[in-house]
Amino acid sequence: MKIVLSWLNEFIDLSDISVETITNDLTMAGLEVESVTDYRKMFENFIAAEVVQKEKHPNADKLSVCKVNTGSEILQIVCGAPNVAAGQKVALACEGATVPDTDFVIKKTKLRGELSQGMICSEAELGLSNDHSGIMVLPEGTVAGKPLAEVIGYNDVVFEIGITPNRPDALSHIGVARDLSALYSRPLKKKEITVARSPEKIEDVAAVEIIDKDNCPRYSAVVVRNVTIGESPVWMKNRLKMAGMRPINNIVDITNYIMLELGQPLHAFDLDNLAGKKIIVDRATEGLKFTTLDSVERKLKSSVLMIKDGEKDVAIAGVMGGENSEVVPATKNILIESAYFNATSVRRSARYFGLSTEASYRFERGTNHEGTLYAALRAAELMAEYAGGEVLSGELDIVSPKLELKTTELRFSRIARILGYEIKSEWVLTILKNLGMNIKSADEEKALVEIPGFRPDIEREIDLIEEVARINGYNSIPSVDRVTSPLKSAVDEMELQNKIRNTLIGYGFNEIMNNSLQAEDVSRVFAEPVAVMNPLNAEMSVLRTSLIPGGLATVAHNLHNGEKNLRIFETGHIISKVGDQIKSFDNISEQIAACLTISGKVSEKTWSSEEREFDFHDLKGYLNSLFESTMDINVLRYSYHNEERGIWQYSGEIFAGDHLLCTFGQVKDSYLQKFDIKQVVFSAEIFVNCIKRNLDKVKKYSPVLKYPKIVRDMAFVFDSGVKYGDIADYIRKNSSPLLKSVSLFDRYENPKTLGDGKISLAFTLEFYDNERTLTEEEVEREFSGLINKITKNFNAVLRGN
Amino acid sequence: MLNKINDAKEKFLQNIEKVDSAKLLEELRIKFLSRNGIVSMLFEEFKSVPSQEKRAIGQGLNALRQELQAKYEALKTRIESKGKASAPEIDLTLPGRAPAQGTAHLITQTMNEIISIFKKIGFSVITGPEIESDRNNFGALNFPEDHPARDMQDTFFINRDFLLRTHTSPVQVRIMESQEPPVRAIMPGRVYRNEAINSRSYCMFHQIEGLFVDENVTFAELKGTLVHFAKEFYGNNVKYKFRPSYFPFTEPSAEMDITCFICGGKGCRVCKHSGWLEILGCGMVDPNVFTSVGYDPEEITGYAFGMGIERIAMLKHDIKDIRLLFENDVRFLKQF
Ligand SMILES: [Zn+2]
Repeated sequence: MKIVLSWLNEFIDLSDISVETITNDLTMAGLEVESVTDYRKMFENFIAAEVVQKEKHPNADKLSVCKVNTGSEILQIVCGAPNVAAGQKVALACEGATVPDTDFVIKKTKLRGELSQGMICSEAELGLSNDHSGIMVLPEGTVAGKPLAEVIGYNDVVFEIGITPNRPDALSHIGVARDLSALYSRPLKKKEITVARSPEKIEDVAAVEIIDKDNCPRYSAVVVRNVTIGESPVWMKNRLKMAGMRPINNIVDITNYIMLELGQPLHAFDLDNLAGKKIIVDRATEGLKFTTLDSVERKLKSSVLMIKDGEKDVAIAGVMGGENSEVVPATKNILIESAYFNATSVRRSARYFGLSTEASYRFERGTNHEGTLYAALRAAELMAEYAGGEVLSGELDIVSPKLELKTTELRFSRIARILGYEIKSEWVLTILKNLGMNIKSADEEKALVEIPGFRPDIEREIDLIEEVARINGYNSIPSVDRVTSPLKSAVDEMELQNKIRNTLIGYGFNEIMNNSLQAEDVSRVFAEPVAVMNPLNAEMSVLRTSLIPGGLATVAHNLHNGEKNLRIFETGHIISKVGDQIKSFDNISEQIAACLTISGKVSEKTWSSEEREFDFHDLKGYLNSLFESTMDINVLRYSYHNEERGIWQYSGEIFAGDHLLCTFGQVKDSYLQKFDIKQVVFSAEIFVNCIKRNLDKVKKYSPVLKYPKIVRDMAFVFDSGVKYGDIADYIRKNSSPLLKSVSLFDRYENPKTLGDGKISLAFTLEFYDNERTLTEEEVEREFSGLINKITKNFNAVLRGN
Repeated sequence: MLNKINDAKEKFLQNIEKVDSAKLLEELRIKFLSRNGIVSMLFEEFKSVPSQEKRAIGQGLNALRQELQAKYEALKTRIESKGKASAPEIDLTLPGRAPAQGTAHLITQTMNEIISIFKKIGFSVITGPEIESDRNNFGALNFPEDHPARDMQDTFFINRDFLLRTHTSPVQVRIMESQEPPVRAIMPGRVYRNEAINSRSYCMFHQIEGLFVDENVTFAELKGTLVHFAKEFYGNNVKYKFRPSYFPFTEPSAEMDITCFICGGKGCRVCKHSGWLEILGCGMVDPNVFTSVGYDPEEITGYAFGMGIERIAMLKHDIKDIRLLFENDVRFLKQF
């Protein structure tokens, strides 16, 4: 909302208060000043000047060289505008002037060899309109040398204020002035209506009937006859322009002007186009077409509140008028509508038509039902003055008896209970009165406050406390660093996620964060996705069912940037649908996942290491270590799939008890193609809740080795189909408790030395007894027993040491 | 004979003085302690010593051998270890073998920094789902249906009753509905807004919500807590102000500004020449919220606050395009 300082001054005397102070005080009272335009400063070094001579530029066809009288001297100005002529009064930017909205400072210069000591400006260059066609020509009587801001009526300051949805009253000059009146304890001036009325009565020329009283509790109308449609006075056009509205004609401008002044949207009907000279407020007829002022034909539905005349629709109530009753140059007689419409009704209409207007914006936030008639009369008064009309006697004003002012009790003790400090009750009452509240009664403990119609946001005691707090200033609230509250142990639901994160960072993973909105085709392979009704685009139409697509998108993005070796992870929510329709939270599965993605080289070639590509076992190793450091690994069970499954070329699954903890593997090419990835990628998805269910129990100390362990190595040649996991399991199952560990220390295939279809695996076995020192003999027995069993069972050949 | 033993000792001590390398040490060994060395020669000579002198001379000879041997061994150890420390064949300037070092995402880092400040003063950390009911996200938080306040947050809808939460505030509702006061928690999480993606806005971001509810919580305590936070996060000298604002679920509501740390309050492009940066919204929990979660607003008061993590991180680290945070370029990620 743009608020003009001189306009404010008509309601409250601010002449002794600086713009900076007003700016700061409004902001600190909750009317946040987002920017200030001080036209007086903006037009510094701009003056009115007279062109005394115009000659063609000797070296340029389209330029002219002018002599210009500034009131004190004659300057030479080179000008390119076609309409410049001797005798004109023009807007001159003198040396040192800054062209509005630019950093361009006017300096003496030579243009094609001719001296130019300033610039004659167009309206566009002055930021007053978009008119680039030529220079701005000032009225004839203008005195050369006068500051331009004064001449064009822009000797003013405009505050752009961000108005929160709870403050419809501040969408007007009087509303902002009222806050200032409370802040500065200065009276708010009211403009009395003094217009003379013509003897003719309004009842004889017009009538109003409200059928839908719920959605239109009040409708006030005034008639002005014999107006002459023309331009508004310059000062009014300037104020409208400064407030961001485009002047149209005197009648429309006046309705807009009053809206900006009082916050009441008005509509001017051409009375002669109202069939039966009648206004009927009623719901629309379903399916009818109606053309609004913006020349758009709209289809009505029955819930929309309309203004009708004796025969037809003439306006969408509170949103926009119709072309059929619009004020045109030939219009003579005006019916001014000043109504109070139900906020929700207007909001629904505006949304239905996708049409937000200055009027609907105010109505849907709540207007002042007490002020409709006053606003209509103020407009009529201006129309009498600036359009030569006569205001008929009387008014049509239908008011629903349901419209009542609200009353609220305020307990003074409650203010301190909420704010944490005392404010004297007399001061509290003064603030409320200055804000326009009516104190019905007050004693030492409480006051009964009647809320005026222009504050629909205030309903409860707490709302009054906020009013007092903001006018008295939040700065006066003390800052207390004491807390008196029972001890309670804090919980941290992010702890496990942080532990996983920190562990992976320790392994060299970079954490990524991806958009949770994804394309449906990449998500559906994991689970039934939840779709968004109103997505930004098809690429972001569902919630992610897995973090893997995000990991792959990240791989793709980085490959594109030449970063080929990636070790990345993400944690976040994954969401899928349970059942056909989402009727309750039971139809939504939302859980925390962690996703690891690796691709490219695990290590680069360096002076001391060979380069190596990431493989499945790197990923498996990371997972093993991660689980070891976050959960009880005794419950884990692995299964492997060499065949293609889902998005995997080959994969593994890790279960904790009956629950799937993790899926991991090499992503298959056809899925990678969706991301345009041509490099091998391994990925894993972990379901974090599964870790949570199996957190490490408190570990009990187990004694470190008291007796020496005995280590034996053995190597066999197997048929190459054999799996390490099967042999290791076999060894564990077929040995005595003396065997404490089995590990693989070598694995190789070489047809030349081993023969075709053969593989060599070498194991290290560790034997240990907690009670005594083992003898070489008993270990030897155990060891050779195992060798025999393996040889037989796996068709293996022991390799000589 | 005894004189010879003394001479040998003297000579050894003179010689050993000059030994400072393995080569000289070996020469010393050969001269004195080898099979043909001086000590062995003396033992040869000892064979022909008369038997009455044998005892004394024998003891002298043994003592000589032991002493020389010990001195030789000691020096040998010293020379060998010295030799190792200065071995010329190791190039100590070669690069070290560093383990791979990962990084936490900047949003995580910022979030955890903020969380830790509140954890230290007794706030729990509670999370909630990203798909919320319209009721938890709006209705219970005093956003009436068909109220312009709903326009403040462009919403992604799942259907009529469910949506992607537009703020972390619904977690407040969940906590209060599941436990009795006092409640003291922060609620970090991801939220969604149906806004076009450009350098300044994204369709999702992260928030941290705070809530403290008890019998006598006041606006003054809200200020105290947030001033503490601002000093911990932005430094002790930070200047701040609270100004009135509007959020449906708090009343009175406020926005907290701190002096712009980019221009020091002089005014710059980032603070729109005001010298102030808005860092969070806050206020006293609206009585309607207490009523909808089943608390008695006459008995219970409380404050709530919320801040956007992306904005805080971007200001702090001079990031001008929010999309950088979700593009996951590792060259970006590794910078933090
Ligand atoms: Zn700044």
